[in-house]
Amino acid sequence: MSTAPASLEELERWMLGALRFPPGVASGEANEVLAASRRLSGADGLAIYQRSYFLRIASCMREQFPALCHALGADLFNDFVAEYIAAMPPESYTLYDLGRRFPGYLDNTRPDRDAVSAERETWIDFMIDLATFERQLFVMFDAPGHEGRPFAAIATPDGRLRLQPCFALGSYRFPVAVYYHEVRKGRAPELPPLEDSFLALVRVDYLTHTILMSQPHFVFLTAMAEGSAVDDALRAVSDRLSIPLSSVRRSWLAEDGVRRRWIEAGFFVDSGEA
Amino acid sequence: MPDTGYRATAIDMPRLGLGLGLRNVHFGHILSEWPEVDWFEAISENFMDSGGQPRHVIRRVAERYPVVLHGVSLSIGSTDPLDFGYLARLKALAAEVRPAWISDHLCWTGVLGANSHDLLPLPLTEEALKHVAGRVRQVQDYLERPLILENPSTYVRFSQSTIEEPAFLRALADATGCGLLLDVNNVFVSCFNAATDPVSYIEAFPCDRVVQMHLAGHQHCGTHIIDTHDRPVRPEVWELYRLAWARCGGASTLLEWDGDIPSFAECHAEVLKAKRYMQGRFDPAPIGAGDDRAAGSVSNPVDFLVPKIMRDTVLERI
Repeated sequence: MSTAPASLEELERWMLGALRFPPGVASGEANEVLAASRRLSGADGLAIYQRSYFLRIASCMREQFPALCHALGADLFNDFVAEYIAAMPPESYTLYDLGRRFPGYLDNTRPDRDAVSAERETWIDFMIDLATFERQLFVMFDAPGHEGRPFAAIATPDGRLRLQPCFALGSYRFPVAVYYHEVRKGRAPELPPLEDSFLALVRVDYLTHTILMSQPHFVFLTAMAEGSAVDDALRAVSDRLSIPLSSVRRSWLAEDGVRRRWIEAGFFVDSGEA
Repeated sequence: MPDTGYRATAIDMPRLGLGLGLRNVHFGHILSEWPEVDWFEAISENFMDSGGQPRHVIRRVAERYPVVLHGVSLSIGSTDPLDFGYLARLKALAAEVRPAWISDHLCWTGVLGANSHDLLPLPLTEEALKHVAGRVRQVQDYLERPLILENPSTYVRFSQSTIEEPAFLRALADATGCGLLLDVNNVFVSCFNAATDPVSYIEAFPCDRVVQMHLAGHQHCGTHIIDTHDRPVRPEVWELYRLAWARCGGASTLLEWDGDIPSFAECHAEVLKAKRYMQGRFDPAPIGAGDDRAAGSVSNPVDFLVPKIMRDTVLERI
């Protein structure tokens, strides 16, 4: 027993290591540290923990990335998860954090990472975009929101409009939201071709709405998300996309324009101050 | 060191009756039907960081029912420092929903900053007892209430262990004043896997310190049992519950159903079966045969804690 873990701290480190890297523990070592019963050897009992460690986390990851799991197939998805948690073991007490670093991990470990952009595999780009979108959507579920309080009304002056707290924007190289919702409907969509996609995520009454939009709308809302007031955000659209400001204002204020539609959709709260 | 006054509080905990775990899949039913259930146990981590629907739901549920907070991440046995950020969020949730008590497990979940998301067993030694007792005192002083600790389901025992689990928990309760949560299914699972006698375990358990009991289903794999919480309570466990109920003086009882969760009505009907076992003589049931569904079972399933958000999202073009 001279090399076997002895203190509580050593035993815990040994066992966690055994869960994370099962091949690193010989059955003889396990049977020395762990007592046998009439039914289970120490190694048999440890194997239950080792198997459950991965299956438990993989199951939670499938819940957090259902569309990516669909796109890759469960076996390949599980392989990615196994590599991910080996490289980046869970650190937080909350399961909600499990997938936080997954999109970045996929991006950083893609096999064609060093290739120039034009030579990269587009299906990998799609998987990374889809993972990023699913993480964004997952965070929306439990983020602080505005439920139970009043939203802005049509009569709220522009100078008092602010984005509500449970709001996010995304721009993607593929129509990931459409793909995601096809999977949600139980369909089997093909991997989509490259196509810029701009969207907003907004939660109202604990239901997250994914709203597809044009680039000018995205630019406007990005400016607001960065703290601009409505007037400045309209100017940002005009400047960045070379659209006459008068035209941008008309689009904003039209009877059936985005101002009305977005207020009705719960994008804005009334800050009470201009 | 003797307990610091928490013992009396733990002993005086209310008898809440027969309760159910507050699960995401039942939120809609509970808020629309307000079913006649005695009380709810909420997994602390599912609500303590929430700014969304779970927090809204537990607030409303706590207005109508007694609620208990049950944690899976305190990691009271870990040799890593206590996570006071976690404790602060737990305390804030408790201030909001005023739980009858707060419980967690006699276990550790990680070390060196890594988290296994499992409830891992401790070597039951004098060193571990001293270590855990010190941390229980810290947690109780921080939360300003007694902690209630549960016996975990286990698949291994450390060669170094020198104390039986009931004696360990008795010594821990004596040293800290903490209360205990006796999980009857865990007793059955751990004793089967260790080839020890669950009746002797219950008889040795400090039942005067038991505030709450747990019931759950498990998977019998023939050579061993996995604690899966995904099916009805087995007859052998119900009989053991009869014994525990009598010895624990009618402690609050809760059914855990965490995998393949059926309708609320089915879960409720399952826990109400407990009434049949609150009287009569203990008559140990023979251990049943193994289950068919043996492959792929996970001990301590936690995926029920991850919301299935796909159904709570819509796509629009405005």
